[in-house]
Amino acid sequence: MHAEIDVDARHATLEFEGARYPLLPSESVLDCLLRHGVQVSSCCRSGACQSCMLKVNAGRVPPASQRGIKATHQQQGLFLACMCKPTSDLSISRCEAAPSYASRVVRSERLSEGVLGVWLERPNELEFRAGQFLQLSRTTDGLMRPYSIASLPEQGPIELHVALLEHGRMSGWLQRAAGENVQIRGPFGECYYQEQEPERPLLLAGTGTGLAPLLGVVRAAIHAGHRAPITLFHGVRERAGLYMAAELGQLARDAAPLRLVASVLDADTFELPGWRVERAALDQLILSQYPKLNAHRLYFCGNPSLVQRLKRGAFLAGAALANIHSDPFVLPAAVAA
Amino acid sequence: MSTSLYERIGGEAAVDAAVDVFYRKVLSDPRIAEFFDSVDMDLQRAKQKAFLTYAFGGPNHYSGKDLRAAHAHMKLTDQHFDAVVEHLAATLTELGVPAEHIAEVAAIAASVRGHVLNR
Repeated sequence: MHAEIDVDARHATLEFEGARYPLLPSESVLDCLLRHGVQVSSCCRSGACQSCMLKVNAGRVPPASQRGIKATHQQQGLFLACMCKPTSDLSISRCEAAPSYASRVVRSERLSEGVLGVWLERPNELEFRAGQFLQLSRTTDGLMRPYSIASLPEQGPIELHVALLEHGRMSGWLQRAAGENVQIRGPFGECYYQEQEPERPLLLAGTGTGLAPLLGVVRAAIHAGHRAPITLFHGVRERAGLYMAAELGQLARDAAPLRLVASVLDADTFELPGWRVERAALDQLILSQYPKLNAHRLYFCGNPSLVQRLKRGAFLAGAALANIHSDPFVLPAAVAA
Repeated sequence: MSTSLYERIGGEAAVDAAVDVFYRKVLSDPRIAEFFDSVDMDLQRAKQKAFLTYAFGGPNHYSGKDLRAAHAHMKLTDQHFDAVVEHLAATLTELGVPAEHIAEVAAIAASVRGHVLNR
């Protein structure tokens, strides 16, 4: 005699923001959350508009719920709630949710007049990819700022590049914060190297400390043995804005596929070992030099309007949006005001 | 039994083929490009995809209310709307879609004119 197990009686449940919701048979995650009065944005409800994107933390989402979304988003467990009809339990969260970790400032050091290098202790449980960013907060009062990761997970302490702003509360504090406790939340963002395509040319461009995530991507690419050309553009107003130029020059000499271009607006041409120095603005330089970008993977970081112009220009030059990774650096409201 | 417009055009694969071509045309048109200056391009592409799915007669839950709310603040005119429909037709022509199907798509697009132009 067999024990009767009614499979239909045991429905999958959703765990979301500390509550559990049982799914009806063939109900979507979106419908289930809405039925329980949970506020989730949605629009087309047919898998196209991506308004209802959520993130899976444990369990398996059906492949249909990840169709048509960027590979980098799939890798991070993002899925479309309207297309997701799970057959087993899921633990899910909103996309922007991320765990918090205790860390400590190991050291800080000037990389140039305007940029501070900061190294943080890496929490054991924190997994990230070089080029993603963290929300760093001061343990004493919770003051929080986002910073991109320039180092590989294998490199030990987490390397950040901090723009030293006049009256900058966080940047000012970080200059003398060695040994201090901090909290980090993340990782966020999709500016990171794609290991599965060592033959695709990479083009990276950033202004100011937008160099940090790009350096992260370059380090990851070289570490993985990338074979196609890697071209890094660093845009600055004055020559003094360049930093880590010597280290990068050395990296380009050691790693064959890396080429470096500095776009310096307010300077006469000068020599920089390992670099080509140009006076044109970053977007003009790149979009005139690369009329066709359909074969490239592209990374744009830093000044938001420049990032937007580059992204649009690259898309019009044939790049698929899924192959363009961008990180606009928006200044904190108090500084921008 | 006749197949739906969406199936005759080629379904989701047709939408995927059309969306980048269409979006590039829209962004390259000085008459309407400014409306896209500050938008998130990834989100915008997803919205274009939802719109194309709707215009191709595919599965969707687009409502007039959504369209109205999304465009209400933009002060759009008939010229702006016509430009977008023009690019839609040109995209489909470029992709080899038969003229009679394009006419059907244009008719579906035309049906939302009032919502988009907020009248």
